[in-house]
Amino acid sequence: MIRFQSMCYQVSRLLLGGLFCYAGLVKALDVVAFTGSVANYQLLPYQLNFLVAALLPYVEMTAGLLLLFGRQVRPAVLLIAGMNAVFMIALLSVILRGLDIDCGCFRPAGEGHTSAQMALVRDAGIMLLALVTWFGAPRRNG
Amino acid sequence: MSKKFNNRNLWRELKLALLIFLLASAVGLAVNSQMLWRVLSGQSLNTVPVGVDDPVDMILPLPVELAEVRELQGSTTLLIDARSREAFAEGHLPGARSLPRGEEVSGVGALLAEVPLSTPLIVYCSGYDCNDSFELAEGLIAAGYRQVRIYEGGFPEWRDAGLPVERAQP
Repeated sequence: MIRFQSMCYQVSRLLLGGLFCYAGLVKALDVVAFTGSVANYQLLPYQLNFLVAALLPYVEMTAGLLLLFGRQVRPAVLLIAGMNAVFMIALLSVILRGLDIDCGCFRPAGEGHTSAQMALVRDAGIMLLALVTWFGAPRRNG
Repeated sequence: MSKKFNNRNLWRELKLALLIFLLASAVGLAVNSQMLWRVLSGQSLNTVPVGVDDPVDMILPLPVELAEVRELQGSTTLLIDARSREAFAEGHLPGARSLPRGEEVSGVGALLAEVPLSTPLIVYCSGYDCNDSFELAEGLIAAGYRQVRIYEGGFPEWRDAGLPVERAQP
């Protein structure tokens, strides 16, 4: 049983880490396109979209790398869960406002189209992975 | 005792998460400092890709500030008012052309017939809460215009700065 739990933790940690590294990297490689994706959410003043698009990919990549290397796992998971919660609120607001936009989660240039509903389901899955990683991660004593 | 220990641990982990966030944000700021400086200081015009053949998804309307809109008055730059025709008639930026959101199909068609694709355009609407200028600017880029920017402060900022306002039929 303990072995199964440990395996679940390792798998979810690596999946989550890989996912956020990839998501951060594709956005960091095309910040302007990602700015367009952020602007499509119509939540921020226009110039702030550029700031968010400049910072967010590096936060995602850093958290992802920490998870992949198994360093500061619980703080990295907290960060990922926090970001994911914000994404989910943003997606909910998109659904409630009836906007038809691509979520811009992994392909900021808009190749392919992931609806807000689909992205919300995917984010729920990511939240589940974050929970498994959080509870499976070794706690530091003292 | 154990609860106290857990709370202390969670607090420590939250602080570490914040630290990671700040450090990663600092890296993002450093890597993108040039782009951010251009955008946030409203000096973006000359660095926007302007070739008519540039792929559309490579181009994003960049912001422009009040001071630069003032400087560009009387130049070849064309101001586009994305608000309703009624709002335009009540008052608009001098020399602006009305192209309300919702009338893009006919409006952009007419614009294409009269205004060359190389003309720099500045789109505005009703200020910071208004998204029509962004959506219209995307439509103009898709139509072939390559120097499209957004004046986010829009008509309210211009009017409140005490600058001249034109009142005329659209």
